[in-house]
Amino acid sequence: MFSYDLRLALDSLRRNPGLSALMVLAIALGIAVCTVTFTVYHAMATNPIPGKSSQLYHVTLDTWGADRPYDDDKPDEPPTLLTYRDAMYLYGAKAASRSVVMYKSGALLLPERQGVKPFVATLRVTSNEFFPMFDVPFQYGSGWDAAAEEGPQPVVVLSDETNQKVFGGENSVGRTVRLGKNDYRVIGVLKPWAPSPKFFDLNNGSFEDPEDAYLPYGWGRALEMPVYGNTNCWKAEAGNSYQDFLNSECVWLQFWAELPTAADRDRYQAFLDNYARSQKAAGRMPRPLNNRLYDVGQWLDRNEVVQRDNRVLIGIALLFLGVCLVNVVGLLLAKFLNAAPLTGLRRALGASRRDIVRQHMTEVVLLGLAGGVVGLLLAVGGLAGIRSIYGSDYNRSAYERLTEIDPTVVLVTLGLALLAGAVAGLYPSWRIGRTAPAVYLKTQ
Amino acid sequence: MHIRPILSSLRRSPTGAILVALQIALALAITVNSLYIVKQRLDLIGRDPGMDVANIFLVSWQASNDRFQGEATMREDLQALRSLPLVEAATAVNAVPLSGGGSSTSMYTEPGEKGRRGDINFFQVDEQGLPTFGASLAAGRNFDASVVRKFERNSSDSPGEMMITKDVAAEMFPGESALGKTIYTAIGQPVTIIGIIDHLHGSWPGWDKVGNVGLFPVIADEQYARYMVRAKPGQRDEAMKMAEEALSRLDNGRVILRVRSLEYIAASTYADDRAMAMYLAVVVVLLVGIAALGIFGLAAFNVSTRTKQIGTRRAVGARRGDILRYFLVENWLVTTVGVVAGCVLALALGYWLSTAFELPRLNLYYLVAGVLALWIISLAAALWPARRASMVSPAVATRTV
Repeated sequence: MFSYDLRLALDSLRRNPGLSALMVLAIALGIAVCTVTFTVYHAMATNPIPGKSSQLYHVTLDTWGADRPYDDDKPDEPPTLLTYRDAMYLYGAKAASRSVVMYKSGALLLPERQGVKPFVATLRVTSNEFFPMFDVPFQYGSGWDAAAEEGPQPVVVLSDETNQKVFGGENSVGRTVRLGKNDYRVIGVLKPWAPSPKFFDLNNGSFEDPEDAYLPYGWGRALEMPVYGNTNCWKAEAGNSYQDFLNSECVWLQFWAELPTAADRDRYQAFLDNYARSQKAAGRMPRPLNNRLYDVGQWLDRNEVVQRDNRVLIGIALLFLGVCLVNVVGLLLAKFLNAAPLTGLRRALGASRRDIVRQHMTEVVLLGLAGGVVGLLLAVGGLAGIRSIYGSDYNRSAYERLTEIDPTVVLVTLGLALLAGAVAGLYPSWRIGRTAPAVYLKTQ
Repeated sequence: MHIRPILSSLRRSPTGAILVALQIALALAITVNSLYIVKQRLDLIGRDPGMDVANIFLVSWQASNDRFQGEATMREDLQALRSLPLVEAATAVNAVPLSGGGSSTSMYTEPGEKGRRGDINFFQVDEQGLPTFGASLAAGRNFDASVVRKFERNSSDSPGEMMITKDVAAEMFPGESALGKTIYTAIGQPVTIIGIIDHLHGSWPGWDKVGNVGLFPVIADEQYARYMVRAKPGQRDEAMKMAEEALSRLDNGRVILRVRSLEYIAASTYADDRAMAMYLAVVVVLLVGIAALGIFGLAAFNVSTRTKQIGTRRAVGARRGDILRYFLVENWLVTTVGVVAGCVLALALGYWLSTAFELPRLNLYYLVAGVLALWIISLAAALWPARRASMVSPAVATRTV
C-alpha cells in the first residue's frame, strides 16, 4: 500500500516538475532561514554548565553611591562586580561550600620555542577553587592548593591552546613559563575547554575564549596586575598608589559561590545582608539593602547574553516560514484540484476518501522531506556566510561556536520540515478527498 | 471593465485568492519592518566618526625587559614613527577609538561634584593627538608639547587642561561657549577647556553619548598604551609595514605585538550590526522572491486550468485585452486585499518590536513604499500568465466539447 502511494506521489510530482521544484524551494528557504536563526539562538541560549547551573551563584553587593544607580538602564540591579575589600571579606569568611574570587588580567608571554612570537597571554587571576567549582577538566597535572594560594607560589595552569602554542602540546608540567617579568612553574594543563556562553566572566563579551593561563589570586596584588575587565567607580576619592585603589569603592572583582541546596542559598543571602548591614553601620553602602545572588541562568539573563537582535530574528524567521507555508498551501491546492479528474477516476474505481487523503499526504510529506534536506544544505551555506561576516581573527572561535550546526538543531529542522509539509498539505488533501467522483467523470 | 464577474468568480472559489492575499500581507509586514531595521543599522554603521578612519592604524606593544624606560622609551618610539615619510602624525593613546574598550570619567562645572555633569569618554594623547585623529577644532587650540606629561600609575591627579567635543560642551554649558571655562574632576581638581572639537566619536559606538569625547595631554601608562598613527592619505598599508620595521629596529625593551588598521578594528566592532543588516536584507530578498514566485506559479497554474473557459470567452466575443485585463484586475483586487491586511499586520509587528525590544517605531514612509513595491511586484508576477491567457485561441473552446 505504502509503495503504491509512494509511486503515485512520485508520478504526480514528476507531472509538474516546475511546480514541484517551486514547492520544495519554498519549504527549503523557510527551513533554511529558521535553521540559521535557531542555530545561533540555541548556541547563545545554551546552558554552559548543565547539572550545576542552579548551584553556582554570582555574588553581588550594592556598594554603589546614593545619587545614581549603578546601571541607569536597570536601576534596580546592584553593581555586577565587587570592591576589593568586600571580595576579600567574603572570600575569607568561607561561608559557601566553595567560593572563588577572580579577575581577568594579562601579561606578555615570551615563549622559548623557536618561531613562536611573543604575545599577551590573557590571564585569569583566581583563587584555587575555580577549577573544581566550574568543573574545569585537566589534561595534565592539576590546579594549586591553598598553600600555593597563600604564598603566592609561582605556579601557573595553562589552557590547551597555550600549551600547544608554547610547548607543542606535550606534557609541560614542571616546565617554566615567563609571564611579564616573572617565571612560573607549570603545574597543570587544561583539556580544550571553552564554555559558551563564558558565564563565569561576561565582562569582555559573552562568547569570548577563556583565558590563556591561570595564576593564583595572590599574584594580582603582589604584582599589581592590570585589570582587563571593567573597573567602575562612583566615589570621589583621591589616590596615589595601588593600595589606595584596593581601599577604594571601585568595583572590579568577580565573586562566585557554590551553594548546593536552597537552604545554603538562604543562609548565604542572610550572611551577605548581615555583612552589608554592618558596613552600613560603619557609614558605607548608602543605598537600600540590595544584595543579590544570581544562579547561572539568572546571571545570563541579567547580562542579556541572548541578544535582543536574536529574539527579533526568531520572530521574523517564523513569520518567513509562515509565508513559505502559505505559498505551498496555495500551490498544492491548485495542483491537487487540477488533478481532480484523475482523483475522480480513482474514487469511481473504488478508492476510499481515506485512500485519497493518504495518497496526497504521502506526496506532501515527500515534498516536506525534500524541502528539509535542501533547506539544511542552504542553512549550512548561510551559517558559513554569517561566519564570513565575522571574519576577524579576534574571537573567531567564538563565532565558530555560535554558528556550528548541532544535532539537536538538525533533528528539529527535519521535524519542522515534515511538520510544515504536513500542515501545508492537510487542507489541500482533505479538500481533494471530498471530491465527488461524478463531477469530474462527466467531462472526460 | 466589469468587476462584478471577477468578484463572483472569486467568491465561488475564494481559497486560492485568500492564500495569495495572506502571503502578500505577511510579506509586507515582514519586509517593511525588516528594511526599517536594516536602515537603522546602516545609519549606525555609516555615521561620521569624526576621525580619519581610513588612514589611521594602531600599534600594540608590551614592555618586555628592563631596557624599557617608560616615558623616555615611548617618546623614542614616537619620534621614530613621526620621522617616517609616510606618517602624518602619531601619538601614544590609552585606548583604541571605536573598539568597544575605553575609559570614561565625569566632570563637573563646579567643584565637589556640583553643577552640571558631563560624561566624558577620554583619551590620553600628546600634542599630536588631535592631528592623528584628524579631528578639527571648532574653537580654541591644541595642546602645547610642554604640557604633555606622564602620571604615576593609580594617581588620581589630573592635567590642568583638556579639549572636549561640542557634544560635551553642549551638555555642560548649554547655550554658552565652553572655551576657556574651568571644569572640575570628581575630587575637585580644576581643568581648563582650551579647545572645542567639532565632532569626534569615542570608544563605544553603542553608547548613546558616543560623541562625548575629551582629550587629556597625558602620556598613557604602559600597561594599556598603544601608538596611534595616521598615515598620509592612501599610504596606510605601506606605512604600517614601515612602522613595524622601524620600531622593530629599535631595541629598547618592548616588543611589538600587532599593527592593525582602525578600519579593521571598527569593522569588528560593528560586526553584529552588519550581520543583522545583511541577514535581514537576505531574508527580505528571499521573501519577496518566494512571494513573487508563488503568485506567478499560482496565476500560471490557474490560467492553464482555465484555458477552456478563456477559449469560450474569446469565442463569444471577448478580445485579448479583455482577457488580459480580467486577470490583471483579479490579481490587483487580491493584492489590494493583501496589502490592506498587510498594513495592519506591519503596524502590529512594528508595535510589538518597539515595545518588546525597544526598537524605534516603524516609520510610515516605509509602509507606503512597501505597499507600492508589493503592488508592482505582484502585478509583474501576474503579467506573464495573464498575457499567456490572452493568447489562448478561441478555437480551444470548440475542441473537446
